[in-house]
Amino acid sequence: MAANLKNLIKLFFFIQKSNLKTAFLNKSDTFVNVFMMTINNLSFVFMWWIIFQNRGSINGWQFGEMALLFAIINNAFGFFALCTRGIQLIPELIENGNLDNFLITPQNSLFLIATSEATFANLGDFVTGFLMFFLSGHVSWSEFGIMFFCSLMAFVLMFSIRLLVSSLAFFVSDSQRLGDNIFISFLTFSSQPASIFTGWYKIIFLTILPAGLLSLYPVNLIKNFNLIDLLYFIIGITFFALLSLYTYNRGLKQYTSGNRFGIK
Amino acid sequence: MLVIKYWSLFLVSFKQAWSKKANLSGLLFFLFILLFIYNRLWEVIAADSLTSGLNRTFIWYLLFAEMIILSNPKIDRILFDDILSGTMAYYINKPISFFFMRYVEAVGNMSVSFFVMGGFGTIITLLFTGKPPFEWWQFPIIFTMCYLSSCINIIMYTAIGMCTLWLASIRTLAMAIERLAFTLGGAIFPLSIYPEWFIDIAKWTPFYSFYYLTIKLVYDFSFSNLLQAACLNMFWILLIGSFIAFAYHKLTKRINIYGG
Repeated sequence: MAANLKNLIKLFFFIQKSNLKTAFLNKSDTFVNVFMMTINNLSFVFMWWIIFQNRGSINGWQFGEMALLFAIINNAFGFFALCTRGIQLIPELIENGNLDNFLITPQNSLFLIATSEATFANLGDFVTGFLMFFLSGHVSWSEFGIMFFCSLMAFVLMFSIRLLVSSLAFFVSDSQRLGDNIFISFLTFSSQPASIFTGWYKIIFLTILPAGLLSLYPVNLIKNFNLIDLLYFIIGITFFALLSLYTYNRGLKQYTSGNRFGIK
Repeated sequence: MLVIKYWSLFLVSFKQAWSKKANLSGLLFFLFILLFIYNRLWEVIAADSLTSGLNRTFIWYLLFAEMIILSNPKIDRILFDDILSGTMAYYINKPISFFFMRYVEAVGNMSVSFFVMGGFGTIITLLFTGKPPFEWWQFPIIFTMCYLSSCINIIMYTAIGMCTLWLASIRTLAMAIERLAFTLGGAIFPLSIYPEWFIDIAKWTPFYSFYYLTIKLVYDFSFSNLLQAACLNMFWILLIGSFIAFAYHKLTKRINIYGG
């Protein structure tokens, strides 16, 4: 088990190194894409900055909290896009029968699918993420440590939700865009000031589309670290991670080969 | 005869898009989430600033903006694949224009999303806000203007697709254009809330008329605004159309020399 895990980690770093080399084959193109991604993200930040300039605060949230939220989401999405974006392809792989190629290898199929695609332009997300952290006004080493930890956990949640909606393809045909839209809805939900969701809105915000786990708890933890919020945060994310793995494995059991002949 | 060919392409594409019920459900789900979130946001902002009716104005505005943006069938990616894989070479010797074929197919696809979102979004927004900020007789005019903006939006993305000639990847460019539509076109928050200097910059871009001027009719309807939007849209269509014609000419020349 431990040896297997060690092999997977070694393979993971080997894949990341190869991806990096491929991306830098055309350096200028890569840098332009990273720059454009950063501009993309900053234009969204600008919209919210205008809103906060006009209104001062929204239900207690100020631009500092919003900047922390952007730091977490951008870093988490950066990790997702660079390391595990391949899970977005699961519906396509099922539909065209290419999933079989991953299932017949001795390595873990989910690991191979996840690492099969990386978008290097999303390095721009890290640029935005760290820039937003430094603009948030909560800049200390301990806050940086909490922010980094929360970003990693938020990445696990993003991965889980994406895997959950991608696994829909095992049960519903032609569900590529359905999954994409649910995932985008989740990200959109997460990118709003958590303070606007009160009462029964908050229940939806933390359960059906668990966006609150991505925005409410990380920002609270950075501003005012406490064990209760940390516990809720970890338990919530663990629940969705286990649920997504269960759904994927359940889907695999139901999956019958795409009957596609070919040599790879 | 030519019109019948393109009409048939439109119908085929329309029927294909209509048959993808899972895709449409996903789209409606996303639209619902957007309306739900921003309705809540404007409710909270209105309560904070003791202004009533903010969500009514801005949620209807958001509905029409999202109908234009979300119905975009990503023609840029289709053209990118056609040009890069060489598939285009199979089409350009057919008795039909390659560019118009792809355009009409995209309009067919967009129409399904646009009308379905229009119907669903109108009901949901009515439930959220009670009544719209415009008179009901203005609704078909605003709806038609937004539909035309969606058609123009496809022309803009066609131009992005044509950039495959010069760029190795157009994905980030398309994403940047989409984000510019959100900010310079005021597709999430109307430009009226931005500072003057920003609006002055936005006025020099096509997003200002494609999105903001057209959608603004929702809360500021007048025939002079409508005319201004139509004239500016015509100007940008001519400019972007000229670019597409230039790129198309370059492309066919390259294909004639090097093949697909």
